[in-house]
Amino acid sequence: MTIVQILVNGLLLGAFYALIGVGFSLVWGVTNILNLAHGAIALLGAYITFYMFQNWHIDPFLTIPVSFIATFLFGYALQRYVMNRIVKAQILMLLILTFGLEIFLVNFMTTFFSADFRSVTPVYAGNSLMLGDIVIPYIRLAVFGICVILCVSMGIFLDKTWRGKAIKATSLDIEAAMMTGISPAKIYALTFALGSGLAGVCGTLLTLTQSFSPNIAGGLTLRAFIVSILGGLGRIEGALIGGLLLGVLETSSSYFIGESYKNAIAFGLMVIVLIVKPSGLMGRKYYAEVKH
Amino acid sequence: MFRKTIIFILCLLLAPVLTYAADEIWFGAALSLTGKLAKEGNLVKNGYELWKETVNKKGGIKINGKAYIVNIKIYDDESDPNRGAKLVEKLVTEDKIKLILGPYGSESVFATSAITEKYGALMVQGGAAADKLYSRGFKNLFGIYTVATDYMNDTLEMLKNKNPKPQTVAIVYSNDLFSAQVAQGAKVSAEKLGYKVVFYQDYPKGTQDLSTVIVQIKAKKPDIILGCGHFQDTIIIIKQAKDYKVNPKAIAFSVGPTLPDFVDSLKADSEYVLGSAQWTQTLKYKDQVFGSNQAFVKAYKAKYNEDPNYHSAGGTSAGVIFQRAIEKAGTKDDIDKIREALYNFNEETLYGRIKFDKTGKVIGKGMPVIQIQKGTQKTVYPEDVAELKVVYPKPQWK
Repeated sequence: MTIVQILVNGLLLGAFYALIGVGFSLVWGVTNILNLAHGAIALLGAYITFYMFQNWHIDPFLTIPVSFIATFLFGYALQRYVMNRIVKAQILMLLILTFGLEIFLVNFMTTFFSADFRSVTPVYAGNSLMLGDIVIPYIRLAVFGICVILCVSMGIFLDKTWRGKAIKATSLDIEAAMMTGISPAKIYALTFALGSGLAGVCGTLLTLTQSFSPNIAGGLTLRAFIVSILGGLGRIEGALIGGLLLGVLETSSSYFIGESYKNAIAFGLMVIVLIVKPSGLMGRKYYAEVKH
Repeated sequence: MFRKTIIFILCLLLAPVLTYAADEIWFGAALSLTGKLAKEGNLVKNGYELWKETVNKKGGIKINGKAYIVNIKIYDDESDPNRGAKLVEKLVTEDKIKLILGPYGSESVFATSAITEKYGALMVQGGAAADKLYSRGFKNLFGIYTVATDYMNDTLEMLKNKNPKPQTVAIVYSNDLFSAQVAQGAKVSAEKLGYKVVFYQDYPKGTQDLSTVIVQIKAKKPDIILGCGHFQDTIIIIKQAKDYKVNPKAIAFSVGPTLPDFVDSLKADSEYVLGSAQWTQTLKYKDQVFGSNQAFVKAYKAKYNEDPNYHSAGGTSAGVIFQRAIEKAGTKDDIDKIREALYNFNEETLYGRIKFDKTGKVIGKGMPVIQIQKGTQKTVYPEDVAELKVVYPKPQWK
């Protein structure tokens, strides 16, 4: 029975990883920017939720739109007025820029919100669905649902709407996209904004199940990175599968091998994927081509 | 006129030297007043200064009927143990001070005590809990913090004879040096007290998810869960224990419940969780300098306008113990006699009853156990100096 519980835990955790990975993967796949500040942007969402809960007792789930919009606008402005200026530069420059941004955001949050670990505990925390011996905490179930819904809607957005198609077109062939009247600057900004917005939502969901401080930003980015590699860049279904896979892998490896080895195993898997199938499990030669 | 001015200036310059020669005892300390340990370092300094002020108000340290005023020379080590070591060297060799009060933090004590050992100076420290400090064969270092491997002894001792009697213990710990030592000690102590350790596992430092560990613990149905880790881990363990309906008779942590943030973060879920503390404000110990622990707390609040914590109390206690040893030795200069007095020390202080073993490590002081009751940390053990009775077994999660 324990093993079923552990698989369930893995899936619940995995959906969260998927959501943190989707935004990162999209940005990487479309704009070729490895956004090292992704985790820090997620934490902005977490602090928004924390403060609305602390000061006005607003339910964390209700603050999802707020953190989405706030980080969306932040991401849009950032890409439109900062990143776009150097997006054609070498990958190293972009890495330095996003790394600098990460340091700035982490220090900003440390200054304003302190380095203390925070956690949000609404009254209904700890209630669980019981299926025989299997326990499924309602909060984790809700987080799972929201993550899956957001990942799927993101996929629909990319496939069905004009802007979504424009994002895919830009990613596929930037020159051809420009010829059809798409402005890459705006599309890049939109992509980065969506990525940041999804990260912001992740931050909100994070407050419900974990404790956080500005210092965990790097760990979140790392998870997003692994999910993107596993799933294949820029692919929504890839991120979803990569996330779930990572979640199940973490929980089951910590059960069978030992909790202390779970990070090593996640990295190991990433390296194997990079060697065997560098485009990721779901990757086709589609989004992640080198464009420069 | 010119000559008079010269003489006047000379007098001014000589004044400090002349005072220095008066009836005084000088102590030295290199503390983290800036840098990453500045917060704790300054708390220890507050403790030292309160001790100095209190002793001097009472006329100073009395040696064979004669009173000596206490002075402390404090340098800032900038939270760098190497700098701390250099400063202690300066204290001993240039300032000629052989009575050294300890810095804060195991690394700093490790580095500076090597210097005091080398020059035959004495150090009494109330700021470090690592076991390794006492395994180097030093004879000039005395520490009053209960060491890491003894952290959970009192919690286990307290729970031993409760009703219904707990039989099994699950121990989880973060895989850093300090937490691993706490866990190791807890395991040995649990087995010695007749518990069965049914789960013993580490997890990576800074982990964000412990659901697998919690599920595994649940399968073992332990009576007691001991968590040896850091503040954020305690939050995750409590949250997930509630999520997965793990209901042991007691949950105890080495670090976490003593911090005010613990209750802020967990709200009602923090109720009845146990924690180990080096010292608490409410312990009813007597003290030869302050009168009692309560009197110390009052004096501290009056001087600094805030509650003392175990860092400050550790600083003050180090001073008190040094003072009592000097008074008993009947000398301020003979290091051998003072050391002997420290080895034979057996007195109740505001920090508890202090005795040292041959390595200079405090023995039998114990860790007071606190329990969150109605949103505040209450001392529940040792029973004779506790505020409230412990609530056991812990009620199930609501």
